[in-house]
Amino acid sequence: MGFSGDSDDKQKPKPDFSNVESGSSSTAPAPAKAPSTAQPKTYVVKQGDNLSKIAKQEYGNANEWRRIYDANRDLIKNPDLIHPGQTLKIPPAEKA
Amino acid sequence: MINRNFQRWFVTVLGLSVALGLAACSKKAADTTTTSAQPPAPAAALTVTGVELGRAVGGDKRVTETVTTFAPNDVVYVSVHTAGSAPSAMLKSRWTYQDGQLIDETEQAIAPNGDEATEFHISKPDGLPPGNYKVEIFLDGVSVQSKDFEVK
Repeated sequence: MGFSGDSDDKQKPKPDFSNVESGSSSTAPAPAKAPSTAQPKTYVVKQGDNLSKIAKQEYGNANEWRRIYDANRDLIKNPDLIHPGQTLKIPPAEKA
Repeated sequence: MINRNFQRWFVTVLGLSVALGLAACSKKAADTTTTSAQPPAPAAALTVTGVELGRAVGGDKRVTETVTTFAPNDVVYVSVHTAGSAPSAMLKSRWTYQDGQLIDETEQAIAPNGDEATEFHISKPDGLPPGNYKVEIFLDGVSVQSKDFEVK
């Protein structure tokens, strides 16, 4: 009967922010490196993410996805299935 | 008679001596306690003194013009001003859309010494959807400030 406005709003798909580009910089120096006590970097999974995509973003190489998978075995049962909102540990990149 | 007077005098002098000795000891103890209770001078704690939104930042990482309304293709910058010093601290920006849909979280480790500024930014190649946004700033995991902005 024409009262479809509310239901249309409810069914409206959420925007896809998976291609958002972000960054940061500071006038403050970076803390001195202390590898043994440094907190591991974390990444919050967004809609549309997969391990290869995160590896590409974090390491510049999608093939490094297994490093992220191995560091999060307690959280990820299936490497092809990660969920938005999960906080993944990102191991530091290996130095060449 | 003389003996009894001497006894009284002796007892009085002895009593006064003991009293003076005890007073001196307790004063010394009190002085010692006071000295050891003084705390060391506190270090200047790190605090977030301001958060500004804009379309661009300068070399000092501060926004060149504060705005709260952006176009879809703008780069949205937030500049976080801090004061104080710390050997290591973590600033984080958390960007959300409308009813809390998470867009992005970015962390920046800093070791500030005095007034500093840290910028975070987001953009979207195909344009940010119109609507209301929020950026929340965390210092060492604690939410310290947030700013609302609009894209239209």
